[in-house]
Amino acid sequence: MAVSVGAVAPVAPLSRDSQLAAEIKALVVGGERDAARDRYGDLVARQQRRAVRIAYQYLRDAHDADEAVQDAFVKVFTHITSYREDLPFEVWFTRILVNACLDLRKSRSRRLRWSVPMASTKESAPTDPATPEQTPEQRLVSRERANEITTAVESLPDRQRTVFTLCHLAEQTAAEVSKTLGVSEATVRVHLFRAIRKLRRLLEHKQ
Amino acid sequence: MTPLHLSDDRLIEVCLLEAASIAEQEHLGACARCDARRARLRRLLDDVSGAAVAEADAAFPPDRLARQLARILSQLQHDGRPGRLIAFPAGHAHEPTVSRTRPSTRWIAAAAVAGLVIGVLAGRFGHDYPLGRPGGTRIAVTRSADAPDLRTGAILEISTAVSEEEFLSQIEIAIDGPAAAALQPLDDLTPLPWEVR
Repeated sequence: MAVSVGAVAPVAPLSRDSQLAAEIKALVVGGERDAARDRYGDLVARQQRRAVRIAYQYLRDAHDADEAVQDAFVKVFTHITSYREDLPFEVWFTRILVNACLDLRKSRSRRLRWSVPMASTKESAPTDPATPEQTPEQRLVSRERANEITTAVESLPDRQRTVFTLCHLAEQTAAEVSKTLGVSEATVRVHLFRAIRKLRRLLEHKQ
Repeated sequence: MTPLHLSDDRLIEVCLLEAASIAEQEHLGACARCDARRARLRRLLDDVSGAAVAEADAAFPPDRLARQLARILSQLQHDGRPGRLIAFPAGHAHEPTVSRTRPSTRWIAAAAVAGLVIGVLAGRFGHDYPLGRPGGTRIAVTRSADAPDLRTGAILEISTAVSEEEFLSQIEIAIDGPAAAALQPLDDLTPLPWEVR
């Protein structure tokens, strides 16, 4: 492939996923949609675990997280031609994923408004971060601790939880989170500080 | 070494967002108190991420991820393909027709049009030929028992009579009227009998 002499090299080297996304975009633009789809399978496999962790932390429901992640990946491929290669793919993808989660939360709240409350419809995933080497008592303590943490994170206001999830679980920088959420970096920091202060208040005294 | 201790917010930034400056690193290396605060914060964050990751991973085991991946790729495979066209009426299946409405919708529309036409005609017919017109069709009406002229249970015979020619002309008048013109679009949607066979 011919490379233009005047092409400007990117400032920072692209991640493997960003390179892959750029290749897929080129294939789609070149009309090789089937080949692009095959390559996209690799990209999905690389990002999928991270995506479900973010979506699950955000939505707290496995079915909804499943749906949001699927929607996000389909949307990414559909709009791959609008991907800018100078941006990390992870940031672009996370923005689409967070939007998919937000859409799902809105539709879920509309659904809940009209549904009859059940005794307990919340899907509770088997929460057991314990390792097999632990004794039953240790495992019980771990489970209790995990429940406390889950409750504490759930008690955070929406915006704080989103920022905390993106900074901590998705390991995004303040600049990336600000791009993802469309807020200033200062706002990201404020929400993050408040979220962690609250988590400390709720969790540290129980340790 | 930085003389001032690191604030809580700065510790959060150092743990989550950006690396500490050289001066801050020196301070953390020398100040046991700040280092302990950072370690405590780091432990809390590790606990939170550990719980979140374990929870999400338990909800999404590898087989579920594999199914999800398959669904995504399958959805992408069908993306961009034209929708399947169902030919209507069935006898014209070989012709590439674009079905804009579902057959059941057409039948509902046909029934509605038929009902409306019958209603309009019946209304006009009833208006032009009210009950009590002499001769022709006989309609038996039983009057209530307390009616003075029918105390004996007599049956009043009322008849209306229309000649066939008169009836057909009334239909033609009704069809030419503005009410029928408004129904023309519905009629266009309705399949003709020979199209259905």
